[in-house]
Amino acid sequence: MTTRLLPALLFLLFLGVPFLPGVPSFWITLADYAGIASIVALGLVVLTGYGGMTSFGQATFMGCGAYVSALLTTGAGLSPWLSLPAALLASGAAALALGAVTLRLSGHYLALATIAWAVSLYYLAGNLDLLGRNDGLSGIPPLRIGGLLLTGSREYFVVVWVAVAVAVLLTLNLLDSRVGRAIRALRGGAAAAASFGVHLPRTRILAFTYAAVLAGLAGWLYAHMQRSVNPTPFGLNASIEYLLMAVVGGAGSVWGALLGATLVTVVNDQLQSLLPRLLGQQGNYETVVFGALLVLVLQTAPDGLWPRLRRLFPPARPRRVGANAAPLRARTLSSTPGLPVLSAAGLRKAFGGLVAVNDMGLHLDAREIVGLIGPNGAGKSTTFNLLTGVARPDAGQVHVLGRDVTGLRPPGVARLGIARSFQHVKLVPGMSVLENVALGAHLRGTAGPISALLRLDRAEEARLFAEARRQIARVGLKEHADKPGDSLALGQQRLVEIARALCLDPILLLLDEPAAGLRHAEKADLAALLRRLRRDGVTVLLVEHDMEFVMRLADRLVVMEFGAKLAEGDPAAIRANPAVVEAYLGAAA
Amino acid sequence: MRFAIMLLTAAILATAGTARAQVKIGVTISTTGPAASLGVPQRNSIALMPSTVGGQTVEYRVLDDAGDSTKAVANARKLIDEGVDALIGSSTTPASLAMIDVAAEKQVPMIALAASSRLIEPMDAQRRWVFKTPQNDSLMADAIAAHMERAGVKTVGFIGFNDAYGDGWLAEATRAFAAHGIKLVATERYARADTSVTGQVLKLVAARPDAVLIAGAGTPAALPQKALHERGYAGKYYQTHGVANADFLRVGGRDVEGTVLPAGPILVAAQLPDSNPIKPVALDYVRRYEAANGAGSVATFGAHAMDAGILLQTAIPVALRSAKPGTPEFHAALRQALESSEELVLTHGVSNMTPQDHNGFDGRARVMVTIEGGAWKLLP
Amino acid sequence: MDADIALILLQDGVVNGAIYALLALSLVLVFAVTRVILIPQGEIVAYGALTYAALDEGRLPGSVWLLGALGAGAFLAGLLAERRVLSPGGVSRLAAETLAIPALVAATALLLAPRKPGVAVDALLTLAIVTPMAPYLYRLAFQPLAEASVLTLLIVSIGVHLVLLGLGLVFFGPEGYRAPGFSDTRFELGSLLIPGQAVWIVGCTLALIAALYLFFEHTLAGKALRATAVNRLGARLVGIATALSGRIAFLLAGLIGTLSGILIAPLTTVYYDSGFLIGLKGFVAAIIGGLVSYPVAALAAVLVGCVESLSSFYASAFKEVIVFTVIIPVLLWRSLRSTAEEE
Repeated sequence: MTTRLLPALLFLLFLGVPFLPGVPSFWITLADYAGIASIVALGLVVLTGYGGMTSFGQATFMGCGAYVSALLTTGAGLSPWLSLPAALLASGAAALALGAVTLRLSGHYLALATIAWAVSLYYLAGNLDLLGRNDGLSGIPPLRIGGLLLTGSREYFVVVWVAVAVAVLLTLNLLDSRVGRAIRALRGGAAAAASFGVHLPRTRILAFTYAAVLAGLAGWLYAHMQRSVNPTPFGLNASIEYLLMAVVGGAGSVWGALLGATLVTVVNDQLQSLLPRLLGQQGNYETVVFGALLVLVLQTAPDGLWPRLRRLFPPARPRRVGANAAPLRARTLSSTPGLPVLSAAGLRKAFGGLVAVNDMGLHLDAREIVGLIGPNGAGKSTTFNLLTGVARPDAGQVHVLGRDVTGLRPPGVARLGIARSFQHVKLVPGMSVLENVALGAHLRGTAGPISALLRLDRAEEARLFAEARRQIARVGLKEHADKPGDSLALGQQRLVEIARALCLDPILLLLDEPAAGLRHAEKADLAALLRRLRRDGVTVLLVEHDMEFVMRLADRLVVMEFGAKLAEGDPAAIRANPAVVEAYLGAAA
Repeated sequence: MRFAIMLLTAAILATAGTARAQVKIGVTISTTGPAASLGVPQRNSIALMPSTVGGQTVEYRVLDDAGDSTKAVANARKLIDEGVDALIGSSTTPASLAMIDVAAEKQVPMIALAASSRLIEPMDAQRRWVFKTPQNDSLMADAIAAHMERAGVKTVGFIGFNDAYGDGWLAEATRAFAAHGIKLVATERYARADTSVTGQVLKLVAARPDAVLIAGAGTPAALPQKALHERGYAGKYYQTHGVANADFLRVGGRDVEGTVLPAGPILVAAQLPDSNPIKPVALDYVRRYEAANGAGSVATFGAHAMDAGILLQTAIPVALRSAKPGTPEFHAALRQALESSEELVLTHGVSNMTPQDHNGFDGRARVMVTIEGGAWKLLP
Repeated sequence: MDADIALILLQDGVVNGAIYALLALSLVLVFAVTRVILIPQGEIVAYGALTYAALDEGRLPGSVWLLGALGAGAFLAGLLAERRVLSPGGVSRLAAETLAIPALVAATALLLAPRKPGVAVDALLTLAIVTPMAPYLYRLAFQPLAEASVLTLLIVSIGVHLVLLGLGLVFFGPEGYRAPGFSDTRFELGSLLIPGQAVWIVGCTLALIAALYLFFEHTLAGKALRATAVNRLGARLVGIATALSGRIAFLLAGLIGTLSGILIAPLTTVYYDSGFLIGLKGFVAAIIGGLVSYPVAALAAVLVGCVESLSSFYASAFKEVIVFTVIIPVLLWRSLRSTAEEE
């Protein structure tokens, strides 16, 4: 309990700072501006730092909140407290609308799209009579609580920083949740997330809307502090400044946003006082010095300042969630040996003129381990991608448990109970092993963004994490559970991927070179694990280059060459097959 | 080492300055950003202001708001927290509008250097604290419309900035044209940084107006006029007082010959009759400004700042009689003194402020000017 | 609108589009080689125009001193970065590249500027003053961050933009300048009256595109740049220095930017802060080209110019609104066509 009480107490003390005698009032004003900027930058941490989407349009959403509140309070005489939900709703709705059109865009296209509507809406606001054209709207009423007018920067400090605290808490909650892990996977782990059932477009929209709502909150605070709005503070330059704050502070962390926003606000202001004293009143060097500082800071700390600062403190204690949580409900695997689990026929895939897979067929029965082997470039990985929905076959069908699932996207495939690992390990950068593995259980939870924000998902989270710990222990990585995923050796990262796949509670496990990079003993453990899984009812298909490993483990082998099936049979038969020996083992034999 | 010494000296000077000054004036203007052509001469004018008034030392704190209303308000708060007795600024209408609330809330008189009459009209509890030195756009727009009517102009085309300046002028010009029976036949807008106005100009030419009014500030106002010339438009050209600096003549060159515009008398100070009381005040400013910043550098925008300075220099001694600087009573007294100026001669006109009129200028604050031989020429 | 007006608007759009195309090409080039989105390219254009205008008036532009300062900075940065591997020969090469060139240029400018040597010399001098700034900036700001993320590089790019913007105001003042064109003649083509300067702009753009093509196809440096653009690591493995590729890319971008500035100075008034918006439109075109395709970027640039010109005729108050809204469907179409990039 004390771990929660202490920050709360410190925060209360912090809120009291402006009321101490001798605290210069301008610094309070500056802190108010820094707080408002922090909220916008927080949204960018979620959107850009975690979600990997660069937005040049946050000031536009801020303007959306500000103008809506200004219109409702000056035009309709509404109380600012009542216009707050409207402002949040409006910026969220704007984000949904713009996001629906532009979020399908990839990479740079998205960034430019945000520039496009930022510029376009800026000029639109300057030309609409309703919004007071370029002069904007003034005479916006201040906030009041009962008879207390919140016009002074001291009183407003409390409002702003309570809002910052709420935004920080909500953001931390969101990021530390089932939905949050999906958002965090967008940057660098999107393919993996999709194959565990994460709906990527919906997750993108969510991050985008959340960031916009935060910006709308900042806009509302801005409007009632400034008490007038016009287009200039919501233009492209302002958006760039918010992005800059997030990056300077460190877009990979909530605290980085606060640090960046505060630092940029204070430095911008202090340069204005300092430089004229040094260089005289003639000429303005603030932008010059600010720009140079920006370059220098990023040269010394390319990931922002917060990660640098963070190193000075002891590392966070590992989470203890899920120690004694009830287990997740598991699938009942009614699969009797010999029942067909997956069958594919006539699969074909060409990339331009190159036919990677041609008339490939494959069937997997329940409780068997099948090895898919073949020389490099034989089409094994493409076959994997066709089975898992990553690529769409040009021809042919895939059936799972008798259902035609051809052309299903990865989340749909995952829903059928098919889990996979990747040839090039795809762990989400910056996430712990535990969180990475918990991503595998995405489909076994149901908590949405609202329950995540409000912390109503704790019971489910505990169960997800208990499951993740169980699977981590199962692959033998118990001691590594709380380390960052990317700090492990490559072989261990492959095991993490298997644990993640197991978290899906799969009926079918597709493993792409699981033994690569493992030491001898680890390979033996892995083989034992896969055998246990077979006994528990899981079917396994693995692509593997380690012949010894696969020959010992597999019940059956499928050999591919030039995109087609060359041979099929039990390991002994394959070993004896002259075609295989010639085409594949020939070089080795 | 040299740097350290410089830093130290600067710090000592700065603190020493703060310690000694008895009256503090806070200035926030747009010395960078899109309105820098207004803000820079204003900053240079502040440097010309006297350091003692009424036996009290005066300190001027100049901050840049880059034309951004957020920064302007932050600056205003900062300056008030530093204990200034009056605010000067900002250079643009939106930024100045945003500052009104702060000035009124903290009850510090503010003298805006932006043109729109919305800053001081309608007079209310907040605008009581706001004054402004530039002529109202309406005064200038009426002058243009009257000149057009005399010149037989029946139809006019308008092209203005796509910002607050253009908005303000479009509104005032529409009203003034209607009052003088002139028909507005085309309304076009362009941005200050546009590289081409061909589309707008084609449309203006197609509407065949007798005259075109260009509402832009500084050198950007030359672009449409040059483009109109290129397209062979042969009607009359009118500009606003926003172009009244030497740079406009330089960039406009031959293409702006014969243009008519209203301006503050300072633009043609030397050509004013000796009987005009504004002449010596304006000439004195021009002389001092050019001595400090080079020949031909003077701009009428800077003179608005100087006028704010003169207003304060007149009001401060009056206010000092009833209160000490740095007190709310002094601010109130200063406000009172400012709004009771009588026949006060400024560089741009003669000011008679009243509680209802916080600009105080009359017809003497504008002259009609044309461009002849690459120079401003006073029209009779 | 009749055909005459349409033709005039199209001509105007093509001329503006040609400038955007030049910028788009240089942005694509720089991004492909260094992953830097070169926002300061706009300032390079403004510096080019304003330096040219100052020389035309017989004044020594402040950018000469900036060149010296950037050169000296690049010298120090070079020493610092390569302190372990620099030979005496390397130091003198570095000094020649970063110290001698600015000194030489400054001396020439000091000598020639007051004599008003004429349009051609002014243009050459402007190229000599502004172009080298770009590779110096690369050494100073970007080279130490070669491995950083695109986002970090973007923000650094914004930092450089702010520095140049602020200095631009100090050097050139808040008001705009125009400069004389290379040609005062006008060509009559039916109802069209084509100014000589417009012909110059379109001609220079086409010539530059051709020159770039030859450079990439037929020179070693060009091939090295292409290799770096395709695969940075691979290029390094076969011995192409990425830092050198970066400097060459920046040098080319500097050259193109300065030239664009000289070309537009006679057509319009240029301000210290004009560059950002011009650069932004070039950026729009570059992105439509996916930051990789030169022909698509050039075409898109001309398209942007024409949309701008047409919308300034139909609804001038909403020009930017129209231009930037029209982009979105184009982006959607481009995005759908490009294979979804995963990571």
